[in-house]
Amino acid sequence: MNRRDPISHEQASELLPWLVNNSLAEAERDLVHEHASSCVVCRRELRELENLRDSISDASAATAIPAPDMRRINARIDALIEKESRGQLLLANIREFFRSPWRFAFAAQTAVVAVLAAVLLWPPADEPEFTTLTDPQTLPEGQYVRVVFKPTLPASDLSSLLDTMNLTIVDGPSDRGVYTLRLSATLTTADREAIVADLSSNDDVVFAQSVRNGGQR
Amino acid sequence: MTRSKAENSASEQKAANELALLDAVRRRDRGAFSELYRLYHPRLRGYLNRILSNAAIAEEVLDDVMFVVWKDARKFRGQAAVSSWIFGIAYRKAMTAIRKESRYQSQLDHGADVNTVPAKASQDVELIQAALVQLSAHHRQVVELTYFSGFSYQEIATIADCPVNTVKTRMFHARRRLKYLLPILAGADEETDREQA
Repeated sequence: MNRRDPISHEQASELLPWLVNNSLAEAERDLVHEHASSCVVCRRELRELENLRDSISDASAATAIPAPDMRRINARIDALIEKESRGQLLLANIREFFRSPWRFAFAAQTAVVAVLAAVLLWPPADEPEFTTLTDPQTLPEGQYVRVVFKPTLPASDLSSLLDTMNLTIVDGPSDRGVYTLRLSATLTTADREAIVADLSSNDDVVFAQSVRNGGQR
Repeated sequence: MTRSKAENSASEQKAANELALLDAVRRRDRGAFSELYRLYHPRLRGYLNRILSNAAIAEEVLDDVMFVVWKDARKFRGQAAVSSWIFGIAYRKAMTAIRKESRYQSQLDHGADVNTVPAKASQDVELIQAALVQLSAHHRQVVELTYFSGFSYQEIATIADCPVNTVKTRMFHARRRLKYLLPILAGADEETDREQA
């Protein structure tokens, strides 16, 4: 192999089949030729591949190819065209039908009626059965807080805590352990928030939030 | 051997003609389709005969290929030559047919029924036929597309939908295998001749 070859022996060698079938681009072809002129291995390989090409060409010529028979493919294409034209005919008929504004209006009206009927007659989906701690509930006029105590808090301590803070249980505990507590007197917003803050900072309280007048915070 | 300017010009003219035909097929011109069919029939039939080794299957696959050409002519974007696009369809159809054929190997063994070589054909031709059927489907496809159909390695990469390096690698292995097989088959042939004598 020539050291100054711009193409390696491997690269030239792998391109030889396409040099032989005359399909290499001019630049590549020149490079392979240039390499082959100084490479004994590639020259020998080239001769072998040319022999192979000639034999294959003979084989190709020796193989009898029957005349084209388009009957089957024509039948398949006819069937396809018929199928396509049926679809197109249907589309054309639909387009023709809607060309008249009265028919279009009638169809649109029917569609609207159908949608309305579906909306009205469709059974309503079941409402989800869950609430949040802040869900509004009907409570008598007054000021309330909702509290969740730690489950480990003994009843006596709970009672004592409520007494200390002048709170009365009006509802609860719910499934989630929520107590609704009424404040003993009407307080200002600041005082109410102070009580909520006291409760929140208590180690035995998980959650506390003020509720006012029928569930509104 | 190098391609002359006249050859290049003829090749360009041929490609332009095929493109015009496919364009007409896209517009559902049955006459153009017939012309394209007749133009490709010998090349596709020869290629499929050799790959599938069964005349009936080859004819069926050829019709499948040309049916796809009719159906999908609108999908041709002109990124490759018309011949690469059509041979790409043929390549995939042939591979599917090979996979479907559970007795592929045994059919290859009886491949001579379609690749009938007349008595006057040279012994080399028979040897090469026998060697080619011993190659794997992918390797054989590359050899067929190169030597029988005259495609460049870039065109074969488009046809087989693989990188050009894969084409080169497949050809490398095919050549190596042919180099190994041909002397063995030639030896076996000579032995048969001696026995018959």
